[in-house]
Amino acid sequence: MNFRDIFSLSLRNLLQAKLRTVLTTIGVIVGVAAIVTMVSFGIGLQDNLLRDALGRIDLLTSINVIGPGADAMLAMREGAGDGDNAIGRRLLDDAAIDELRSIPDVRYVNPQLSFDGYVRFEGHTRRIGIGGAPLIVSDNPRFMNILAGGHFSSGDAREAVITERFLQRLRSKSIPRGSPPRQQGGEAGPFRQPPTRSDEERQRDARAVLGSDLIMLTLPGSGAGGAVFGIPLPAMTGFEEQQDGDVTPGFEEHRFKIVGVLKSPDGIDFQLGGNQLLYLPFEVARQFREGSSDPLRQMGEMLAGGSGYQGAEIRVADIGRVEAVKEEIRRRGFNFISLGNQIEEIKRVFLIVNASLAVLGGLALLVASFGISNTMIMSIRERTREIGIMKAIGGSDGEVMRIFFVEACLIGVAGGVIGVICGWGIDRIANLFANRWIAQQAGRAVRHIEFFSIPWYLSGGAILFALLISLVAAIYPASRAAKVDPIIALK
Amino acid sequence: MSILQAREVSREYRMKAETVHALAGVNVSIESGEFAAIIGTSGSGKSTLLNLFGGLDRPTSGEVLFDEESLAPLTSRQMSRYRLASVGMIFQSFNLIPTMTAAENVSLALAFAGMDRAGQRERVVALLGRVGLDHRRDHLPSELSGGEQQRVAIARAIANSPRVLLADEPTGNLDSRRAAEILDLLDEMRRSEGMTIVLVTHDLELARRHATHQVMLRDGVVIGEERMAGGTP
Repeated sequence: MNFRDIFSLSLRNLLQAKLRTVLTTIGVIVGVAAIVTMVSFGIGLQDNLLRDALGRIDLLTSINVIGPGADAMLAMREGAGDGDNAIGRRLLDDAAIDELRSIPDVRYVNPQLSFDGYVRFEGHTRRIGIGGAPLIVSDNPRFMNILAGGHFSSGDAREAVITERFLQRLRSKSIPRGSPPRQQGGEAGPFRQPPTRSDEERQRDARAVLGSDLIMLTLPGSGAGGAVFGIPLPAMTGFEEQQDGDVTPGFEEHRFKIVGVLKSPDGIDFQLGGNQLLYLPFEVARQFREGSSDPLRQMGEMLAGGSGYQGAEIRVADIGRVEAVKEEIRRRGFNFISLGNQIEEIKRVFLIVNASLAVLGGLALLVASFGISNTMIMSIRERTREIGIMKAIGGSDGEVMRIFFVEACLIGVAGGVIGVICGWGIDRIANLFANRWIAQQAGRAVRHIEFFSIPWYLSGGAILFALLISLVAAIYPASRAAKVDPIIALK
Repeated sequence: MSILQAREVSREYRMKAETVHALAGVNVSIESGEFAAIIGTSGSGKSTLLNLFGGLDRPTSGEVLFDEESLAPLTSRQMSRYRLASVGMIFQSFNLIPTMTAAENVSLALAFAGMDRAGQRERVVALLGRVGLDHRRDHLPSELSGGEQQRVAIARAIANSPRVLLADEPTGNLDSRRAAEILDLLDEMRRSEGMTIVLVTHDLELARRHATHQVMLRDGVVIGEERMAGGTP
């Protein structure tokens, strides 16, 4: 008997008991939809976390050296922490930065310099993270991703490069939560997303602020205002200068001209120290940082005998040399974090998460397989005579068996395909509600987030699994059908 | 030349503690082109013998030969091929698949033989025409009279051109006029196509009218055998 005949025979058998077939198939649909929905959520989560990381090779060639804090240095000076590798032993000062720069295959080393400051812009004053940026930023992805404008004209220019999130934060109507605000721009939860807007709109917004001034506020008499650093003395705040009248007089104001706007990364910002919304020329930032550091920290640095950078971002010229450079950095006594390892780690965790989700969904499908067995056994009981007839007129055991296997396959594949479609539908609806909920929480339009992802291997795998389960469920009924004795069946 | 032969065939059924001897050392030889009637009362073992000839069952001892070849060594799959192509069977209760039309029932036998769809369609038309049911092709068995159902069964049995047609009380559910028509059809096929007919019946009268070879069975033993003139055509 050729396959086409077996297929149409199986199909007609199924259609003869439509309700039973439909109910059995619904069992499979539920199981497959459960697998697809759950696993697609896991994969979606993973994608959201890793989309940028995997899409950008620059994250894999980046090594973040961590400098010991003043307290760690102080303790180490007193002989603590022998053999403790968790903390870098070396102070990350300018000499260390130069040493790191000398390592072969290192393209550049950006010492990380950041502090919090109060900044006024368009009449709003907010506390934000401020960072120092090198003058030369060629091939540094963070500063090359420009929405409008450019970079500082010189190392001591009173110029600022802002990020898109700077604008969002300063213009935000919502009350900042927590202090210090380590999660600036994170209004949409863990997914830092710029608003849903077209690139043209974003560029237009960015261009509009180019050339305008922002004002950094410092306490009078703090180091930053001093002429010692070669910075011109700032104008004292006067009532006549107040734009909105909401600033308490008595602060020093430092004006910076906005020369560039950086595009906020989509998805999650993987850059360590990615909380800076505003960048100043490195040396300028350094002076302000010293000026703004609190007395306790100053004391710690004095006790430790020096202050280093919190960290430094190292870019390796060639991805193939990353491991060698890491080894060299380790040998020189620095500690570091490299995203390459973390991505592997994240993927491993998600593999476990997704597998557990798949197992949960698989249980539903397993239950469905009992339904298939049950349906087929019932159907064989009803059709014993028919099976006897088929055998009497020349049907072989194998052919009878095949008819039932194909029936099970049809249930499995139909249930699988419909189940995948249902899973996709559930994903779409859930995604819609989730985004609506986030928008509500954020109080503004946020970029649409895909919480679910159904890659082809998930849908294909789910259908294949449904098929497999159906085949297994059919083993017993089909072999029972093949064993029907025509003489007894035809009596 | 004998086309079907039973040599010292015994068939026992185990029913709980006791063993039923359905056939006990039966020797029967059926020649090609004969209209053989196996006559016996209920429980005489005549259907058992027919099932052995039809390859639905295997003897407990002795052997069945088709065309001088023993069926004993055939595998289950080979046995199904034997049922498909070498012999055709019809039954008292017709045994048509109730959910299939007349044409589909006949087509099924062709499908098992691996014939393609177009071939099946063509052959079904010819076969149903052969048994005089052109106009009933798309009717379900329940829409056909008993005589018509048996004709469909005959068409199905001869679908793959077997050399032997085995009929198990084919007229048992028919009135005498339809019964005569069916037997006339079988006899006509024997005469025109040289097909061998083996008829199992309890009706001595019926057997006398058509059979060229009569075998009497009682309690699983052959108690009489008679060949008439004009048997082999």
